[in-house]
Amino acid sequence: MTTFSPTISHPRTETEGTRQGPTPPPMRVAIIGAGRGGTALLDALHQIDTIEVVGITDKNSSAPGLRRARELTVPIYEQVSDLIKSQQPNLVMDVTGDSAMESALQEQVSSDTDIVNGQTSRLLWLLIQHETTLQTELLQAEKLAGIGSFAAGIAHDINNPLQLILGLAENLAEETDLDAVHLQARDIIEAVKRTTAICRDLTSYSRRTSLRQDGLISVNAKLDEALKIARYAVALQDIEIRKYYQPDVVALGNPDQLLHVFVNLITNAVQAMEHQGVLTLETATIDGETRIRVSDTGSGIPPELLNRIFDPFFTTKPPGKGTGLGLYNIKNVIHHMHGTITVESQVERGSTFTLTFPGDTSRREGGSS
Amino acid sequence: MSEFKSGFFVGGESCNGRVLVVDDEPDIRKVVRMTLQKAGYDVLEAENGGKAIEVINSGENRLLLDVIVCDIRMPKVNGIEAIAYFRQNYPRVPLIVLTGFPDTDMATSLLRQGVVDYLVKPVEGENLKASVARAMEQRELAHL
Repeated sequence: MTTFSPTISHPRTETEGTRQGPTPPPMRVAIIGAGRGGTALLDALHQIDTIEVVGITDKNSSAPGLRRARELTVPIYEQVSDLIKSQQPNLVMDVTGDSAMESALQEQVSSDTDIVNGQTSRLLWLLIQHETTLQTELLQAEKLAGIGSFAAGIAHDINNPLQLILGLAENLAEETDLDAVHLQARDIIEAVKRTTAICRDLTSYSRRTSLRQDGLISVNAKLDEALKIARYAVALQDIEIRKYYQPDVVALGNPDQLLHVFVNLITNAVQAMEHQGVLTLETATIDGETRIRVSDTGSGIPPELLNRIFDPFFTTKPPGKGTGLGLYNIKNVIHHMHGTITVESQVERGSTFTLTFPGDTSRREGGSS
Repeated sequence: MSEFKSGFFVGGESCNGRVLVVDDEPDIRKVVRMTLQKAGYDVLEAENGGKAIEVINSGENRLLLDVIVCDIRMPKVNGIEAIAYFRQNYPRVPLIVLTGFPDTDMATSLLRQGVVDYLVKPVEGENLKASVARAMEQRELAHL
């Protein structure tokens, strides 16, 4: 039943060339206990470049953390002793809360291995939960701040049908031709439907996302949905949109958060083009990994700014026009989905953001076993 | 006798003026046309600023166009660009902005540029007609 999966380390470069100097070898961490605490630790530690989760174990073979570990291709062990012996971790994190485990671990680990357990590991878990909540709040705050820029688009999309409705209704008040009355009444109904669709799109976009809603997302449909939302923020009329979608491209994560990522990337791309140019959306599954590309033919990002764009509060927009949290939040969402984001850019030529996700690991494993 | 009379009046049927409606939404052009035609105006349509410039530069429109009703957010040549062109090349043709987005700064700037009215959709037929009638008066004054 023990599953040994080779550790595939996902490249986690934010931008090409952001890392400076030689990187120290990653800290090797083993997690004992794959319940809620173990899962949260696994999720958090897996996102950190300088940490390698070398294995996880739990007495209960259906513990949620083991499923997560499979998705992340983190080795799973049935016995604590096997994990420690074969991986020689620098740090063992015991989140079982079991005092017997504490003494058992002391006997098994070598002297240069540290153990974190009891209240200390509980404290770490609480800190991680707190940080996750903060990230969700930040994402929501930035999303709501962004909705302010939708005002022009929303006004356009509501007031145009209203003008049609008003004009037709005024005409109906005097119309004597019954056929014309029927025709115009139908036009009014259609116009009302168009207006209600706007409210539906925006309420679903602005709602608070729950972290526990992860699932398999159809990437192509999500990109199309994002285009619909982005229209409110930026004028797309003069943008040529090219879509190169491979069928059935999926990613595992929170659908609302991924929608937010796409809306942000599309909005940035269109703003970089000053409302004229080509927006290219590409999706593909390559070697079991999901790859998504959003490219523009806009102003590009100067090389000296390229490694700062994912920093919190970094913005090149004038005060009041951007929070500087857009790409920072995007990076967090993508890391939470165990993916990566990279950017290539040339001044006056445009930028390409490439997102890579592990894809549907459950389906892949199911196919190979 | 009667044949001569009818020939004499061809095209002379109570035309209050010629109005060009510029909007990318066909529905909007349709209702504006409906309202203005009932008030006796001859209505021309254009789907963006570029088309509007083509219309005003074609044939007799150069001389006979009385009022332009123009949207702002449109593809290709938008309202702001088109209005700048009209003010430059046809300063005597009064302009009315009919937009979906109430923007005080933009309204102030456009009114400073000589736009007669800044109307925000949805605008009632009576108000639209009154605005066009005011613009017609300006047009007539400009002709004096």
